[in-house]
Amino acid sequence: MTLAVADRPIRSTRRLARHSAGSAGRYVAALAYLAFVLLPIVYMVLVSLQDSVTAGTVVVPRSLHWQTFAEMWQTVDLGLYLRNSLLIAILTGLCASIIALGAAYVIARFRFRFRNAFRVSLLATHTVPGVLLLLPLFVIYVVIQHALQVRIVGSYFGVVFTYMTFALPFAIWLLSVYVASLPAEIEEQALVDGADRLGVLRYVTFPLAVPGLVVTFIFSFLLAWNDVLFASVLTSPATRTIGVGLQNYVAENTLPLWNQLMAASIVSAVPAVILFMIVQRWIVTGLAGGSLKG
Amino acid sequence: MITEERESAAVAEPGIEQVVPGASARAHPLPRGSPLRAPYWMMTPSLALLALIVFLPILIAFYLSLTGLNQYTIGDWLHAPFVGLRHYRDTLLPQGAFASSLFNSVKASVAFSLLTTVLITPIGVGAALLFNQSLRGRAFFRAMMLIPYIIPTFVNAILWRLVFMNGTGLVDQLLGDFHLGSRETFWLIGPNALWAMVLADVWAAWPFVYLMSLAALQTIPGELYDAATIDGANGVRSFRHVTLPLMRSTLGLALVLSTINHFNNFTLPYVMFGISPPEQVNVLPLNIFVNSFVTFNFGLGAAMSVVALVIMLTPAVVYLRAARVGDETR
Repeated sequence: MTLAVADRPIRSTRRLARHSAGSAGRYVAALAYLAFVLLPIVYMVLVSLQDSVTAGTVVVPRSLHWQTFAEMWQTVDLGLYLRNSLLIAILTGLCASIIALGAAYVIARFRFRFRNAFRVSLLATHTVPGVLLLLPLFVIYVVIQHALQVRIVGSYFGVVFTYMTFALPFAIWLLSVYVASLPAEIEEQALVDGADRLGVLRYVTFPLAVPGLVVTFIFSFLLAWNDVLFASVLTSPATRTIGVGLQNYVAENTLPLWNQLMAASIVSAVPAVILFMIVQRWIVTGLAGGSLKG
Repeated sequence: MITEERESAAVAEPGIEQVVPGASARAHPLPRGSPLRAPYWMMTPSLALLALIVFLPILIAFYLSLTGLNQYTIGDWLHAPFVGLRHYRDTLLPQGAFASSLFNSVKASVAFSLLTTVLITPIGVGAALLFNQSLRGRAFFRAMMLIPYIIPTFVNAILWRLVFMNGTGLVDQLLGDFHLGSRETFWLIGPNALWAMVLADVWAAWPFVYLMSLAALQTIPGELYDAATIDGANGVRSFRHVTLPLMRSTLGLALVLSTINHFNNFTLPYVMFGISPPEQVNVLPLNIFVNSFVTFNFGLGAAMSVVALVIMLTPAVVYLRAARVGDETR
């Protein structure tokens, strides 16, 4: 299942022979795809630069209204939403990748009886509708809150803990694929040389697995960053994340501030875009184990 | 591969115990049992957590679906009135109070997930075939193709909500300017809503098929095409007899996964249409959410999510088989 999208040219005689003939046609098609992709993005940027009166009703701004990017921080507490999202996503990424490591190592390196059943169930969790898990978890949290007088719904802990429902199975799967791709011979050599299992893990496997841990962290971060369903129920105004908070630009004002909403949307998409570009090579492995979207 | 017949000294040196933070290293300062055994204890944190937050909640959801739990009884949920199969009768029998609502949602969800998947397939496969060929600036094009996929769904939903605004949105402006239709075409309410949502999701999700197809194409050795050319096959024939058969399993996985993802998509309809959506886009996850967290009818919501789970069973099994988890030739 490890299918990396490496950007290496595969040159065969067939391709070289047909290189010049179809070249122009290929360019037309490539540019058509580019236009298809960029058109909505360009529209989003244009609207973000419109003034509040015409925003969203025209295509080309009357004048470039850069102030939108300054004004949007005042309309709703965008800074708070971004900070909350950042904190929750980082905690989710850390918890998921660290907790997953042990299980990922065992299923990558050992054959045991329920191994495949476990791996299948990791993928199966992805097909469970999120609301099916959110509902009983919410009820459990409320019951615990009543019984112990603690706060779970609305706390960072409650959100991060709940995000493990989808981040952890995904992290175990991704990390196990990565560990399986590491050569076991180095570990075997270390064992032959007299190191014990934990020493091997600490000084051989763990350093080698660091890139995989980073990839897993980023994917888990993105899962948390993109969530709206769980956050809309489990966050309070103080812990509101960006995915839920953005809607306040339309909800709290009689006049929807489309320019500010678009500007804030662009800002909230930037971390996701940057992180995705870093893990580009790993996206396909992530996709097969349950997609990042949907 | 480290196999079970390894020999090594099982003496832990002091100071190198906690390999996996969170794993109970204190309880097991030495690898438990013989070194021939896999360190199963390392799976404990993950297994315990998954049991607690995935397995247990599913069981509780089944129980909740048999109760009349709502916002008044939630403080004392174990004593919530047990109503047996009433919610299932209400939703599944034709004369039930929520039967038409559920049926409509299932219809909307199936239409949405199938339409989107069908539409993104040719777009994605076409892009994969195109960008697998040599092309100047290919790396740039490939990176750009990812953009719709990597912007968060909530941003995508907000963007398309603006694009489809009645009268002022981009679509209605273009319709009016090019005299293709009325500038007052409604997209976010009424029967067009399904197409608005499908279009928004097609734009956002086609790179999924593209990425999977491209990965499949890159595993096809070039020699196969050379052999096909020598055997006299032209481009179309080598596509049909070399490319397509070798892509088929990955493409199949992509399509079933795409169907599942779109069926479970909550964010797009929720952000695009809010909590009182037109019936054409009142998909199952949104309907369940409204019943559970807007009207606080937890019992009914649980019953409907169990129904959703049962509907997902068939595509889930197809997906798990297509993913070939037991296949060790990764």
